[in-house]
Amino acid sequence: MSRLPRGCTNVGGHLASSMQRCRSEMISLMHSYGYQTFWPSALQLLETAWDRLPSSLRKRLITLNTPFAEPCCLRADITLAAVSYLSSHFSPEERPLRLCYADRIYKTPVRPDTYLEGFQVGAELLGWEGDGADTELIFLLLQSMDMVGVEDSFLVLGDVTFLQDLLFDIDKEIAKALVSALEKGSYAEYYSLLKLGRINTAQAEKLSRVPSLKGNMEILDEAERLLDDRGSLRSLRKILSSLAEMGFKDRIKVDLSLVRELNYYSGPIFDIYTRRHGRSLGGGGRYDGLLSGYGILGQAIGFAIDLELIASFSKYTEVEPSVMIWAGGLSTGDVIAQAEEIRVKGHSIEISWTPSREDSIHLAKMRGLTFWIELPESKVIDMNTGLATNLAKWVE
Amino acid sequence: MLTVALPTGRVLNEGIHLLDQLEMPTKGLTERGRELVIEEGPYRYILAKPMDVPLHVTYGVADLALLGSDVMWEIGAPLIELADTGKGKCRVVIAGPEFLAEKFIGHKSELMWLRVATKYPNIADRYFSSRGVQVEIIHMHGSIELAPRLGLSDCIMDIVQTGNTLRANHLKIFETVTPVSLRLAASIKSVQTKWQELSGLLDKLRAIRS
Repeated sequence: MSRLPRGCTNVGGHLASSMQRCRSEMISLMHSYGYQTFWPSALQLLETAWDRLPSSLRKRLITLNTPFAEPCCLRADITLAAVSYLSSHFSPEERPLRLCYADRIYKTPVRPDTYLEGFQVGAELLGWEGDGADTELIFLLLQSMDMVGVEDSFLVLGDVTFLQDLLFDIDKEIAKALVSALEKGSYAEYYSLLKLGRINTAQAEKLSRVPSLKGNMEILDEAERLLDDRGSLRSLRKILSSLAEMGFKDRIKVDLSLVRELNYYSGPIFDIYTRRHGRSLGGGGRYDGLLSGYGILGQAIGFAIDLELIASFSKYTEVEPSVMIWAGGLSTGDVIAQAEEIRVKGHSIEISWTPSREDSIHLAKMRGLTFWIELPESKVIDMNTGLATNLAKWVE
Repeated sequence: MLTVALPTGRVLNEGIHLLDQLEMPTKGLTERGRELVIEEGPYRYILAKPMDVPLHVTYGVADLALLGSDVMWEIGAPLIELADTGKGKCRVVIAGPEFLAEKFIGHKSELMWLRVATKYPNIADRYFSSRGVQVEIIHMHGSIELAPRLGLSDCIMDIVQTGNTLRANHLKIFETVTPVSLRLAASIKSVQTKWQELSGLLDKLRAIRS
């Protein structure tokens, strides 16, 4: 028996079909909004990727040398490749630029995960200075979730500038430790740091509120009272208002303790969840910092979600109703012509060429197919009830 | 309904006592038979092996859990550590036969390729690696303190509360790796969807601790 390298997997069977259908629907939606498909190289030069990736991702890179002796890494994230491509292939006049992708990514797993490989679907929008870009991307994310049947999904929105502002006057070392505690998800460590006495009481009091700033849009009022510059949450407020107007109010939550690498992300950030899973399905945010690394000043926003997870919670997890057509000794040309007539009516078909009627029925049962068609008799059998119908009538 | 994962074994009784203090119903837990899922009022309790508790939370089976900080660090699963309860205090230590003590006082090169028996292979790996020391880690699931006596390892990394078990096996503590206590942790999703309930419990816990 041949085996794959540890941490790798072949995806086949029903999960692969579900992933393909989700991928296809999501990419079609993005295409219809002007996002161009992007197929990134699996390899990235280490010298260009290293400084631009968040440090949390750097630790997880899978590195190798090409046969041309160039140190590389397998792409751990598609955003970097997308931004690099957009920055070098388009002139500033062509902005805003929109890309979408669905491809594999590779990184060292973090427990309890064990796989080196993952599948990401995502989109990036570069070069539009305004809140419309954030809302557009978030709308596309929620819309694509609905299209594939993950309607119980909800979005958690934060803004890294909120914490940046609160930490502005704080000792850099302690500020870094506080951010790290929130990134790790350790509120216990965050509160312990506040009690160390290295922050004045008023600041510590304000910072102690951060983990509790969760809820709906009204939480922003409380958050703004903690800030000297009340304008720093303006973007987030606008995005939330727009999404509420669009009918997504009940699917949006605010969490101002949501943080990512502060030198990489630069504004609103978000994660998406389904109520059926304990972890995020993916997320995104504004990453102007990465853009400036490519010498581009301006705004960039993107998201990436886990295709395998989305597929496993999608409406495509059920075996789709499909049909086995038994040739039953008819001529090949005739069978394919009739099969095509059935397919164009919207059915998924599989032709069974075996001469044995019993073998064909047995295979249809094994596959879990809904209908079995006996072409020579022009008869359709419902595999669940055993009832027979005339083919012409059934097709109509 | 809030689903709470609880570790069986050493800290379960302390955990139940804490739930009592948090005004959560515990009758079903104290009078349990062989049941591993117990529903009481608005709570569902899941009793699990300590090392499995973080996975229940990570995968969203449980909203909340009580678990040792040793287990959290060993498993390293993504979850939100809400608070240190201050209960179940003990520590993870390196211990071994008396004659080995000198190695731990001397230069770190003395420790190279020591065989360390432990049920915490990940913590042991991180601890020794961070000091630049390469050791051979022997992953065991129980009776760790017997390993040096039987010649299976040079020393052990294990949890210690009173030190009686170590003394009974003629082992001396050389170093403390980390203090351990019972933590309250929540699923990343539940922190968003059930924050009201969780923050209510956190407030009660703060009141108890102060």
